[in-house]
This record gives sequence, C-alpha cells and structure tokens, in this order.
Amino acid sequence: MRWRNAWIVMHKDLDEFKKQKLVMGSIIAMPIVLGVVLPLVMFLPMVTIIPLERPWDVNGLLEIGSLPDTAHIPWTNHTIENTTFHATVISNTILKNVHLSNCVILSCILKNTTVVDSTVQNSSLTNSYLKNVTVVRCKGTGLDGAFILTVSSDLNFIRTKPSDIDQVLPMMFNMILMIFIIVPATLPTIIASYSIVGEKNNRSLEPLLATPTTDGELLTGKIFSAFIPSMASTLLAFSLGVILLDVVLIPKVAYPLLPNLTWVLSMLLLAPTACLMSVLACVLVSSKVSDVRAAQQVGGFVVMPVVVLMLGVLSGFIFLSPLMIFVFAAVYGCIDLGLFYFARAVFNRETILTKWA
Amino acid sequence: MIICDGLTKTFGNVTAIQDFTVEIPDGRIFGLLGPNGAGKTTTMRMLSCLIQPTTGRAFIDSLDIRNKDDAQKIRCMIGLLPEVPGLYETLGAYKNLDYYGQFYGVPKQQREESIKNTLTTLGLWDRRKEPVGGFSKGMKQKIAIARALIHNPKYIFLDEPTASLDPAASKTVREYILDLKSKGDTILINTHNLSEAERICDTVALVKNRIVKVGNPKELAHDLFARTITITLQEIPSSILKDLSAVDYVSDVHVNGNQLILNVRHPEEDNPRVISWLMHQGLQVQFISEEEHSLEDVYLKLIEEAGR
Repeated sequence: MRWRNAWIVMHKDLDEFKKQKLVMGSIIAMPIVLGVVLPLVMFLPMVTIIPLERPWDVNGLLEIGSLPDTAHIPWTNHTIENTTFHATVISNTILKNVHLSNCVILSCILKNTTVVDSTVQNSSLTNSYLKNVTVVRCKGTGLDGAFILTVSSDLNFIRTKPSDIDQVLPMMFNMILMIFIIVPATLPTIIASYSIVGEKNNRSLEPLLATPTTDGELLTGKIFSAFIPSMASTLLAFSLGVILLDVVLIPKVAYPLLPNLTWVLSMLLLAPTACLMSVLACVLVSSKVSDVRAAQQVGGFVVMPVVVLMLGVLSGFIFLSPLMIFVFAAVYGCIDLGLFYFARAVFNRETILTKWA
Repeated sequence: MIICDGLTKTFGNVTAIQDFTVEIPDGRIFGLLGPNGAGKTTTMRMLSCLIQPTTGRAFIDSLDIRNKDDAQKIRCMIGLLPEVPGLYETLGAYKNLDYYGQFYGVPKQQREESIKNTLTTLGLWDRRKEPVGGFSKGMKQKIAIARALIHNPKYIFLDEPTASLDPAASKTVREYILDLKSKGDTILINTHNLSEAERICDTVALVKNRIVKVGNPKELAHDLFARTITITLQEIPSSILKDLSAVDYVSDVHVNGNQLILNVRHPEEDNPRVISWLMHQGLQVQFISEEEHSLEDVYLKLIEEAGR
C-alpha cells in the first residue's frame, strides 16, 4: 500500500467536496443541530424553570477521570489556610487529621468520604453537594456537634430518594451521547455511496483506474475522504456541545460535568469505528452497483448496528461503561477490518467498467 | 513494442474481439478502425490493463498484461484517453491535470511547468481555475488529452482523440500526435475518422470483432483495388474501346467525353505501355492521372465484406 496514492485520491475528493457548498453545509450543520442545538433546547427550559433546591444528581456520569487537579492535594495530616476550592470533587477517600482555616469551598462535590479527627475554622461551604459523608470526631466553630463545618444553607446531607430530575438526567445525557455516535455513522452515507459509482457514472473512473493506483489505495482514499469530514464535523459539534452544556448546567450540578471518561472514550473509540463501518459498507455497495440511487438506498441499512447500540443504551439493556465501550469499539473495529478486506477482494475493475445493469 | 497474440474478449455470449494478433513497433502510430461495437475500445482497455482478456495474451515492453505486477508497471508507461473525457467537472483544468500528475510521481516543479506549457498551448492557461464543467466539449477533450500525456508516457492510447473537436482543434491535435511520434512515442488510436487515420497512421487494422485487414493505409488501397488511370486524349476514336479491351494488362475500359478510364494492376510498369500503345495508334495524349482510393473506400469495402 502506497499511502501517498491514497492521500492523492482523498485530497482530490475533498477538493471536489469543498466545491459542493450545500453538501458541506449539511455535513457541518447536522451534528451541530442534533448535538448542540437540540440538547440546549432540552436543557435550557429545565435550567431556567426548575428552581434549585439542591445540586442535581448526575451520579453515574461522574468519573474519577474528571477530578480536578486540586483533589490530589494530600488530604491526610494537612493544614490548609486561606484557600478557595472551586468545582473540586472529593470522592471515595478518607480525610484524616485535616485542618481547614479561612477556606472557601464553592461548587464542590464530596461523596463516599469519611472525615476523621479534623477541624474547620472560619470557613464556608457554598452551593456544594455532599453524599455519603461520614464525620467522626471533628470540631469546628459556629456549628453544632453533628457536623462542624461552617456551611451555607445549600448544604445537603445523605439523600436517599432521587428526584424526578435525577432520574431523567442520565437518560438525557445518554441520548445526547448516542446522537454523537449515530451522527458520524449517518453523515458519510451519501458521500461514501457516491464514491465509486458516482465516478463511474461521470466516466472519470476509467482514466483513474488506468493510473498505477492499486485497488487498496483507491479504496483507502475513498474511505478517508468520506470519513474525515464526517468525523471532523462531529468532533467540532461535540466540543461545542460539551462547552455549552457545561456553561448551561454548571449552576445546577455544581461542577463542569462534561466531558467525562465515558464521553471521551465514546468519541475516541465508538464514534470513529461506527463512522468507519458506515463508510466501508457504503463504499463496498458503491463498487457493486451501477446507479448512485441504488447505492444510497442500500447504504441506508448500514447504520443498523449503531441503531441497535442506541436502542440498547436508551432502553437500559446496555450500560455504557468504559469496558462496554471498549467491547463495542473492538467489535466495530473487527467488522471494519473485515469490511475493508472484503471490499478490496470483491473490487473488480472490469465489472465496474463494463457492467451497467 | 506491443505484441498482441490471439487476444480475445467475450462478455457472456458476446464476443467483443477475437484473435487480435498484431505487433506494433516502437515509435509508430497504429490505428484501429471499425464500426461501433467492433471491439476497438475493448482492445484498448485490455492493453491498458483495465480488463482481462478471455484468451490470448499481449505484451507491452515484454510485460504481460495478464500479470498483476506487470500490469502496475504497464500502467506507469501508458497514457490513456478514454472515449469520454471523464474530467472532474467541479475542479479547474489545473487541478484535473495536477491530480493525475501526482499519481505518476511527476515532481511538483516539473508538473507545474508541464501543466503551464500544456494549458498555454491549448489556450486555457488563463482559465485554469474555472470549473471544467463549464467548458465546451472540445476544450474538455483537449484537457483529457493533456491529462493522458502529463507523465510523458512511452505508450499513448487515444480513443477517438478528435471526436468532438472543431476542424482547427482537430488539426492541432493531429499535429500534436505527429510531434509525439517524432519524439519516439508509440501511439495506438481508435478512430472513426478515416481521413485522419490515413494522414497520421503508419499502420491501420480494420476490425469488426476480429482483424479484417492490417496494413499501411496506402498499401491497403493498392491491395484491394485495381489502380484506375484516367487518360485525356485530344480525340477518342469509336473503335478504341474494343481494341484496348483486348490488351491483357488493361481492364474495365470506358470512355467519358475525351477521357479514357481504365484499370491497371501495376501502373509503374503498365502506364508507359498504355501510353506507347495509344501513341502507336496515332492518338495524342494530353494528360494522365491516377485515381486514388481513399481509406474510406477500403474501410467500406472491407467492413461490408466482413459483414457478409
């Protein structure tokens, strides 16, 4: 495989693609509408209408990977003075012999944590969320003996029953994540379906096949010319969506929610493999039919494996943990590899040039 | 050198070309003439390694067109102009040519110079960035020819190179082809344009799903037709038809005004004998000319015979 030849094919296709303003516009617009505008439309009314009684529980979306750096401060046998903690997550740990003095704790989360033999003086805890926090032999100023932090009225202790919002939130986030996986699988179908049969119908395929390009190089170029714009626009929409969602949701959840490990892994592993699967299947179909419409019609079926995943996640049958993402990405990757070798094996220059029905 | 040995291609029950056997020496222009569906394009596609022969074999510079590795090398040596230009309509002429130049590994600077020279020659340099979709058929054809030549191929396969060109552009292309020949390139041309083939081809093969005849266009005419001589006399006596018809090296004698029209087999030897005979009869010869049979006459006669 001479990658240079594949790059030439891809570069030419992208050059042609850039001239098709409408197609390019729709490729950029679709992920933004579905992955940015739609979530904002869903969340903005919730954020503005529903009063804040306590921070929303986004348990399940919170990952260790999203801990800010400040969480790595040694929390045992430590004295902290005149410090502000903002959007800090402290999780699954024991704070022992910690002494806070003149500190501000703002929009933080403290969960599954035990605080032992510690003191707090002249400090405040504001707009933060505590869950499963056990306090043992602690002292402080201005509070009763049960808990000795100086706190604002926003403080919540262990909560036993999730609210309606708490139940809806994970489903909504899963749906948005699924949009970012199904969109790159849908976007390239038209471009990829056109890739071979379009050139055949334009009669530009014959001179191209007469060049020293191999079947593999030609297919690789065609695959990447459909893959790159689809994934690029999806990643752009993903970045925009994550930033805007954080901006909108931070008053309610008390810390930057996205991207967490599940979302990052999904975008780095699931979305590209799903996109590639769709592209490969469409290019394969494109090399076997004589009409662009037939290629597009058949190409519509290629998003089925991704739809199955989406239905599984949304119905609750599949929990999209990092391990599950690896499993699905591996399955998709294997299908991608198989499709590439199959497409190359059945790519027949003679049939493509001479068969018209 | 291109060697075709019994090259045959069938599509299902249809035989496109059968037993195509020719040798094309380097530096020659070889024309394939034949009606639509005669197998010309199929033959060119086989030699371009685009389709595989059903039986038979062919070698280009001793490389076998049926061998996958050889086919890659052959593709580097050939430049193909297909029946339809097949340009990328949304791209400019420059990008269309540059794209193909890159495949053949032509260095960037050389590519730029070559494209500039070619487009300037074709009068398209100022419009190099315009999408070629808006160009006329002739302009597209010129760009497609330039595309086939971008890497200076040793073997050039042209399928109907002047099909959609105006007379002036056709002349430019013909001169260009002859120029390529003078540089030592070997050119295979499929054409319906018989006068063009007659003017530029060293050898032509008349095909109708098989080779009907191969040869130099002039030799073909000579082989097929008796040479017709027109002799203008001051006056023609009525008895001459009968007397001249009796001469063994003359045939098909007839009279048109004061012109005597007859066929001879070998004009170089027979014309002086006819003149002597006429003078011996006391007749005064004013002019003598030979009627040329065009390649079109040859084509029509052979294709008609092949169809029977």
